[in-house]
Amino acid sequence: MGLLQIAIEGTLTGLVYGLVALAFVVIFRASRIVNLAQGQLVLVGAYVMGTLLSRLPVPVAIGLALAISVLIGVLIERLVFRPLIGQPAFSIVMASIGLLILLQGAVQLIWGAETRPFAAVLPEGIWKLDAILVNKRLLIGAVVTIAAVEALRIFFLKTRIGLRLAAVAEDHYVALSMGVSVQASTRIAWAVGAFVSTLAAMILLSGNVLGLQAGDIGLRALPVALLGGLESLRGALLAGVIVGIGEALAARYLDPLTGGAMSQVFPFMLMVVVLLVRPQGLFGWKVIERL
Amino acid sequence: MLPSGIHFKDHAQELRLLRTGPQRAALLLLLALLALFPLVANSYVIGLAITVAITVIAVAGLQITVGMAGLLNLGQSAFVGVGAFTAAALYANHGMPLLAAVGLAGLASGIVSIVFSLPAIRIRGLYLALTTIAAQVVFPVVVLRLPPTWFGGSAGIGIDRVALFGVAVETPARFYFVALGVMVVMLTVAFNLQRSHVGLVFRAIRDNDIASSVLGVQLGKYKIMAFFAGAVFAGVAGGLYAFYIRYVTTDQFTIWLSIWYLGMLIVGGLSGPLGAILGTLAVTLLQEAIHWGGNRMMAALPQLSGGVIFSVTNIVLGAAIIYMLIREPHGLNHRWSILKSAYRIWPYPRA
Repeated sequence: MGLLQIAIEGTLTGLVYGLVALAFVVIFRASRIVNLAQGQLVLVGAYVMGTLLSRLPVPVAIGLALAISVLIGVLIERLVFRPLIGQPAFSIVMASIGLLILLQGAVQLIWGAETRPFAAVLPEGIWKLDAILVNKRLLIGAVVTIAAVEALRIFFLKTRIGLRLAAVAEDHYVALSMGVSVQASTRIAWAVGAFVSTLAAMILLSGNVLGLQAGDIGLRALPVALLGGLESLRGALLAGVIVGIGEALAARYLDPLTGGAMSQVFPFMLMVVVLLVRPQGLFGWKVIERL
Repeated sequence: MLPSGIHFKDHAQELRLLRTGPQRAALLLLLALLALFPLVANSYVIGLAITVAITVIAVAGLQITVGMAGLLNLGQSAFVGVGAFTAAALYANHGMPLLAAVGLAGLASGIVSIVFSLPAIRIRGLYLALTTIAAQVVFPVVVLRLPPTWFGGSAGIGIDRVALFGVAVETPARFYFVALGVMVVMLTVAFNLQRSHVGLVFRAIRDNDIASSVLGVQLGKYKIMAFFAGAVFAGVAGGLYAFYIRYVTTDQFTIWLSIWYLGMLIVGGLSGPLGAILGTLAVTLLQEAIHWGGNRMMAALPQLSGGVIFSVTNIVLGAAIIYMLIREPHGLNHRWSILKSAYRIWPYPRA
């Protein structure tokens, strides 16, 4: 297997990580909530979509699943995070831990612990380009991811609502005193975050097996989001690609030496090293702390 | 708030943990009741009490890192795991005495935690929590890759016979006293740490780390110390766990356990070691109530599976955490102190 092949596979896998990290970044960037329940948000989206796909035609099921996940996102904002506006960031992180446990339990209660098939909504198979093989599902996923990032960039940087969200990410109190509704921003953040999470679930799981371990993607995406910088949309994507390629290279060249350990540990090592040099991540906002 | 008529002549008196005669008497009474507990309880309840004692130690350690110093730690169960493996290997493979193995387990966890908290010199805030997730991810990977003669590889380590000072500690009732003794020692450390100089510095860092660094606190050093202290508690808890379960594998120490520890701490309250005790008790009681109710329901409705009980427990704990954060951010600990001061100044209305 050539280096180029590894790079392409790593890039495509990394873009899926990037998409999950993007959901994390969207929520942070619009509401200053560090959402440790990101993996569980993907999990909920995956189960909703998986269930609908087994009953309804594909386009209807996808549309309905995305709509339902937006509703779930709004509901989470209303019940969990709106009462916590103005509380210390620490309490909000703790609440996301509570949400993580709650959602994991809810998914297991509703759907059970057994794995189930997830219908193939994206084309399966491999697209051959000379000697290089490209996974079609992940290629489409990459296109969706890049499109999502660019659309969100326009939303955050060019629209009035998006710029308000940036004010909320900067500081809740300042935003409130400038007449920006933190509630509305948080609601938008969770709606978009849940939407992107469900999109990621679709790309990740199409034609695969759906189980409770789908939520583990959150643990993979967290270092990606931090590597890119919590406020940067394109950063999440680029960090995803870096981690994806690094992981693929580690799996190819280092795993035979360490018995399959390096590719699991690699994202975290990379994250720690980068954070030591640039504590705000590659493209995060450099915040000057004052007393 | 203390009852009226109690005056302190110097600051040292005021700083004491037990400031009045009745407080000392109440503690002695509590310890006596805990010591007599195995006489009235059956082996299931004793086993539960041992688990609570072990968990209290781990959560009290988490309270030091998260509550006192304000550093989020999502990898406490990995440090418990390090302790468990160290204690089991030292005892089973190297014939070390039980208490020495437990102590060294704490030390080993502390040393491992230094490796993961070194980034604290430069990384701040929530980014630091991510290195603790790294600890959680790296822990099983590393333990499974080390030579099997060290930690047993994927098979884990078993402990055949547990003996303390030559006395066999085979029954839960006997091990209960070991766990209780270690818990009392560790809690004494935790309560004293809170009122010590180091504890004061930890709280200064939690309240405002930049301000405390301006006042001359070496942030990196104290943050590493906070992780170290928390991990020592975790290691001791892990050591006890190894001797109680007598079989240690990496699957026992998942990130879920870490998250549960955090949940217990939030429910109990982050502000003091008492929060760790109350939170562990409350969550364990909740869990047992759900188990009891679930088993009753499963007897009536056979189509329910054990997974339902587990998932309901998760839902209830998650909801409890969110509820506590919204309604009572200071945790049960705060409720307890309100209750205490109401009792002390009764019949007057509380201030």
